[in-house]
Amino acid sequence: MNIKRYIQKLTFVFLGICLMASATYAQQTITGQVTDVNNEPLVGATVIVSGTERGTSTDADGEFTLQASPDETLIIRFVGYQTQQILVGDQTEFNITLRVDDQLLDDVVVIGYGVQQRSDLTGSIASVSGDQIRNQPVASIDGALQGRASGVFVSTPSGTPGAGITMNIRGQTSISGSSQPLYVIDGVPIISEDLSGLFSGGQATNSLADLNPNDIESIEILKDASATAIYGSRGANGVVLISTKRGVAGQSSIGFSAYTGFQQVTNKVDMHSSREFLELMNDAALQDNRDLGTNYSSTHVSDIWGFDPTDPNLQNTNWYDEIFRTSPISNYELNASGGNENTRYFSSLSYFDQEGTQLGTGFERISGRLNLDTKVNDWLDFGTNITLNRTLQDRVINDNSLFGVVINALAGDPLMPVFEEDGSYADPFNYFGWWMLDNPVLIAEEYQRFTNTTRGIGTIFGVANISDEFSFRSSLNIDYTSLEDEAYTPIISRESQNARRNGFGNFGTTQDFTWLIENYLSYANTFGDRHSVNGLVGTSFQQSNRDFSSINAQGFPSDQFIKLSVASQVTSASTSGTSWGLASYYFRGNYVYDNRYLFTVTGRADGSSRFGENFRYGFFPSGSFAWRMTNESFMQNQTIFSELKPRISYGITGNQEGIGNFASRGLFGVSDYRATPTLIPTQLSNANLTWESTKQLDIGVDVGLFGDRINMSADYFIKNTEDLLLNRLIPGTSGFSSVTDNIGRVENKGFEFDVRGVVLTNSNFSWTSSFNISFIQNEVKELEVNNQVLSDSHILAEGHPIGTFYLIDHEGVDPQTGNIRWIDENGDGVIDSGDRRIVGNAQPDFFGGFSNSLTYKGFDLNVLFQFTYGNDIFNHSRASYENLGWSRIGIPGIFPLPDGNNHSLANERWMQPGDQTDIPRASLTNINWREYSTRWLEDGSYLRLKTLTLGYNFSPEFTQRLGMRTLRIYTQGQNLLTFTNYTGLDPEVNQNARNPLLAGDDFGTLPQSRTISFGINLEF
Amino acid sequence: MRKLINILLLTALIVAISSCDVLDTEPQTSLDPQTALVDAASAQAVLLGAYSRMQIGSYYGIEYTLNNDLLADNARYQGFFDSQLELDSGNVPISNFWVGNVWVSIYRVINIANQLIDAVPGIQDDAFTTKDRTLGEAHAIRAMAYFDLLRVFGEHYNTNSNFGMPLLLEPIENNDFNLIPNLPRSSVSDTYNQIVEDLNTALQLMGPGYVDNTRMSYWSTLALRARVNLYRQNYAAAYDDADEVINSGPATLEDDLDNVYLTTDTSSESLFDLVFSDQDQSSYFTFAYQRDEYNVDPSLTEAFEDGDDRRNYLEFVRGSNRPVKWNNPNNANNAKILRLAEMYFIRSEAAVYREAVPTPALGTDDLNVIRNRAGLGDIGPLVTEEEYVDALLQERRIELNYEGHRFYDLVRYDRVGDVLGREDFRKIMPIPRDELLASENLVQNPNYPLP
Repeated sequence: MNIKRYIQKLTFVFLGICLMASATYAQQTITGQVTDVNNEPLVGATVIVSGTERGTSTDADGEFTLQASPDETLIIRFVGYQTQQILVGDQTEFNITLRVDDQLLDDVVVIGYGVQQRSDLTGSIASVSGDQIRNQPVASIDGALQGRASGVFVSTPSGTPGAGITMNIRGQTSISGSSQPLYVIDGVPIISEDLSGLFSGGQATNSLADLNPNDIESIEILKDASATAIYGSRGANGVVLISTKRGVAGQSSIGFSAYTGFQQVTNKVDMHSSREFLELMNDAALQDNRDLGTNYSSTHVSDIWGFDPTDPNLQNTNWYDEIFRTSPISNYELNASGGNENTRYFSSLSYFDQEGTQLGTGFERISGRLNLDTKVNDWLDFGTNITLNRTLQDRVINDNSLFGVVINALAGDPLMPVFEEDGSYADPFNYFGWWMLDNPVLIAEEYQRFTNTTRGIGTIFGVANISDEFSFRSSLNIDYTSLEDEAYTPIISRESQNARRNGFGNFGTTQDFTWLIENYLSYANTFGDRHSVNGLVGTSFQQSNRDFSSINAQGFPSDQFIKLSVASQVTSASTSGTSWGLASYYFRGNYVYDNRYLFTVTGRADGSSRFGENFRYGFFPSGSFAWRMTNESFMQNQTIFSELKPRISYGITGNQEGIGNFASRGLFGVSDYRATPTLIPTQLSNANLTWESTKQLDIGVDVGLFGDRINMSADYFIKNTEDLLLNRLIPGTSGFSSVTDNIGRVENKGFEFDVRGVVLTNSNFSWTSSFNISFIQNEVKELEVNNQVLSDSHILAEGHPIGTFYLIDHEGVDPQTGNIRWIDENGDGVIDSGDRRIVGNAQPDFFGGFSNSLTYKGFDLNVLFQFTYGNDIFNHSRASYENLGWSRIGIPGIFPLPDGNNHSLANERWMQPGDQTDIPRASLTNINWREYSTRWLEDGSYLRLKTLTLGYNFSPEFTQRLGMRTLRIYTQGQNLLTFTNYTGLDPEVNQNARNPLLAGDDFGTLPQSRTISFGINLEF
Repeated sequence: MRKLINILLLTALIVAISSCDVLDTEPQTSLDPQTALVDAASAQAVLLGAYSRMQIGSYYGIEYTLNNDLLADNARYQGFFDSQLELDSGNVPISNFWVGNVWVSIYRVINIANQLIDAVPGIQDDAFTTKDRTLGEAHAIRAMAYFDLLRVFGEHYNTNSNFGMPLLLEPIENNDFNLIPNLPRSSVSDTYNQIVEDLNTALQLMGPGYVDNTRMSYWSTLALRARVNLYRQNYAAAYDDADEVINSGPATLEDDLDNVYLTTDTSSESLFDLVFSDQDQSSYFTFAYQRDEYNVDPSLTEAFEDGDDRRNYLEFVRGSNRPVKWNNPNNANNAKILRLAEMYFIRSEAAVYREAVPTPALGTDDLNVIRNRAGLGDIGPLVTEEEYVDALLQERRIELNYEGHRFYDLVRYDRVGDVLGREDFRKIMPIPRDELLASENLVQNPNYPLP
């Protein structure tokens, strides 16, 4: 047995897969040369005979020689260039020209209900190929899109494995409704909201994490109204079209890929040591002597607590080190694809396993997929897509929650150990930090919280090609999710002890069953050589039914059990359900005159069960026009522009997400009193309730330069969202403070710019680069009631964006006294919440990404930077870890008890008259401490090295010896570097991920992860 | 052609089976108003719904009761919530969360009562044997709700004031928010008149045979009228009502206060307990015992005399005294809204003040009844009115602490300045910011800012 067979065999045994011997045909010798568009030879391009192990790479002249039979297909690949396939046929000599692989050059773009040549597009659509995001160590696809496309603001509000991600396409259009886009996978609008009922703080679960990112062939992001209006009442926030991989005839392959790596939090806040903690407390007392005339000794606090700051043996716990860890992440995947003229298939099975960077968190997913396409007869094609996934999410409470892990570690007393000498968890109430309500390590390790999801999405579709002009597509889809939440709060926890509950648990389920039936008739024809027409009309009916249950119980025999059957007392149990439906009719027409003037009109009529009787149906039209100037005769004699296409579009889209399924009705709900059911009015009616509607104008231009070596797109858009689904304040004499109503207006306008191009290319080396930047201004234009204070820190006000901060302001620190100069806004002589004013907002001025891809021989290097500039963050966490000694609960003279420790930035505090600093003096009183003040408001701008990938593709000669078609190894880094002035854990976190109105608030949120991974891809 | 027909047939079938009912979705745990209040059973359910709404956090679920002590000198804030911090400091801005919430919460109860008062007389149902009682109870609930609003937002201590409550006495037509009337504020005396009228109607409809200390029955309604008459300084009426409750009512003083507090049941001195249970929890234990928003103010601890049994209901835990008037960790203790001890105080106060010249001696016995029960001896002879008021406020503070009385007592006797060091206008809360924004006819209380 030769070495090649041996390795092959071993590999296949390892994978548990049999490889069928390839069939043989009459082979002949073929030769050829591979060049680029400038006729330069490409050295090292691989030429493979599809479905076989035969292959080679081009020599120094770009030439190759191979054995192939006429019915076989050649696949020619070169990194940085588009792969080409050529049927061998009778030819024996080939001149093959590879074009630079540039996204904007991709021929076919997926659009709503169909595909289109990119050159024929009149709307604004960004594309991201599956290759760009493949094998990134992230749980879900949305996270991989950050920095990839202009106008698309992606934010990861926490590092929680499997947690939700925020994506806003061209700004936040909605205030109380959802501003998240519609996700459509292979034509099926899917459920993308958080279905878990388990409380875990501010972070949602991410139902997109139910999908395997590596199954994705391409992602299209529909941005303007021309592209999204065909999704009607769900198009206003943009649409993300995800296409999964399908088999290619004659290209059988089996692929295996794996990566494994480790993660750490991107940043830890540097905290004081025990000694510094005690010294600061003593300083606080001395500063009070100076300012308030008290008479404390220079070791006032450390004496009372019984410590000597200079004792070298002081307990010194770093709480961040105790709750964070270096944790593994890995992914294994096996896929097989191929087929013949009649049947094609793609199937995959993958396993993703991530432990969180914080104790007690993790995410696991097993997913399988089968995409099948069959030609039944000469006029009927049939297909099916099935994916089944299971995710297991290990969760903890975080964010602004009494028993969150990070929040309890914030000002953690360094004098407190994690464990007492007897091995039990230390109790914070025996130590000197008031802030910590329970030992965060106990919460992370002993609380049990799991969300397990099983999700299946199945589609069966048929396409009848009625004639050359007409075809009819019909599909039936099911999106089914079964989710279980399980939680247990242990007996030893403070939460259970304080409430004397002896451990308590919760079990809940959510089942969502959504079905969809879609039918559309397409038409395409050309008249003469100048008129080209295509279009479609269709219907869509969708209904979703959701059922919930929840059981709470308490009184457990020991913390070894978490199942409720062992609990002594069930405290509550309930089941419930809800549903919604959507009936839709849509059309699109495209007309192209002489390949120069392109017109598109679309429209969709949607009926939704969510809205009032009076306005149940809405109609959403759009129109667009583009001019391919390069096809004009006057442009024929220039070589600069390979494409110059101004575009304009206008249309109306809607939004119906984020409000209740029955928000239009007046309702009585059920409660109870003395164990007897009661009826109580739960909402007032509004029969006029209808969609939010967004009118969007887009003016853009697509430019190709120097034979498409450089491609640019620039768009200006203005999006006016009216009839916002908002809570209208109503007189409280009605017993209600608000109803959901269509009021108010929000405007998003902006400019986005994309450029991609080949910087340098020659036979050995290529460098392509892309850059995108978006300037989006969000402004609340009109509200029913202006200046709505939404929380202790946020306001909604006309003339300001969503996510505006409303805080007590200050004018620095008085250099003479070291005290903060608060601004008494209302002049009443008291500093309180009445002194808040608008001080900033969480919206960035601009954001974008900068990506570079370099190849040298078999090596490739990809670097993606991503940036956000001009947003503010309310570093709420700092209010606890910059308490500067305020003895919140203790009595300063008798027993001071501050929130806890301080971060080392507190070293820059005011110490003596004349000090110029923005951090005030320490004090045992709260003279310088206001929780909701600009003292914690910081600039959230950052530049981040988001991904860095270095890979090596082994040459075909080498891989053939191993019996493989391709072999690639790589290493990848995620979030390797972050440049920011933000002093908190991570500038991207947001504790209110569920509520964009309260954006930019960092309070006890788990920061993002820095990941380094190593991977291998191989294909047979 | 055949394939075209097949396709068309298939399409027609698919469209037919799918289009008919996708938009017909119905809520599974709610009812439309048209079907919610139609017969005896649903009227009972809606009536009990009023109690469900009293249970919510901003009202008798906790805050209405305990925020009063926070505003006064019984409780001090050491916790997280700015809303409670503002109440403790006494500088309550118009944006205070609780102030905004409690307005709406209490009016919700009023609206339930309005629906019943409107609909019950017209319900034709032979099984509806308790129609009068139901109607009476609705009137009593509405009276309590308006009185509770008036104490927070109106100048309840001044019957000549125009700063009373907006009086909504009808249900919202069709449950449609567009038809909410835009009401101005009524005067304090009109508000009191409406409250008393409701109480009178309630008493008449229910009759003394209706005894149930977990809802607004005859005796709790009478006790409430005693309290209302005391606040509006109609001392003769207050005396008669309190006297009738003490002498003729079903409640008797408990010898052992543990039976009042350390129980999840009603006690024999309950006149109206709002009932909570494991499955239907309040927040008293959580907030008063576990959290730090309502820790005991040292001045309350110091106010206890030695040997007072009631001192046992303070417990020093985690750095502060906390009340243990709700000891059940599942928050299953009832809210004690009206109990007999208060009637002795009312009768005492009314006895002193119903005379042409306040006569302290007439009120001493009733104060001593409550003192003796707590293991204290009789109070010395009270001579001057000031001595009497000091003693009355002290006794009420010790007996009724954390039960929602102290701040109103300080207001009634105009001691907000002396005891709490507050400006006079802070005797009542501001009209909430959102209400001023939503109702153009509402007038802000004196000296408070507009939005």
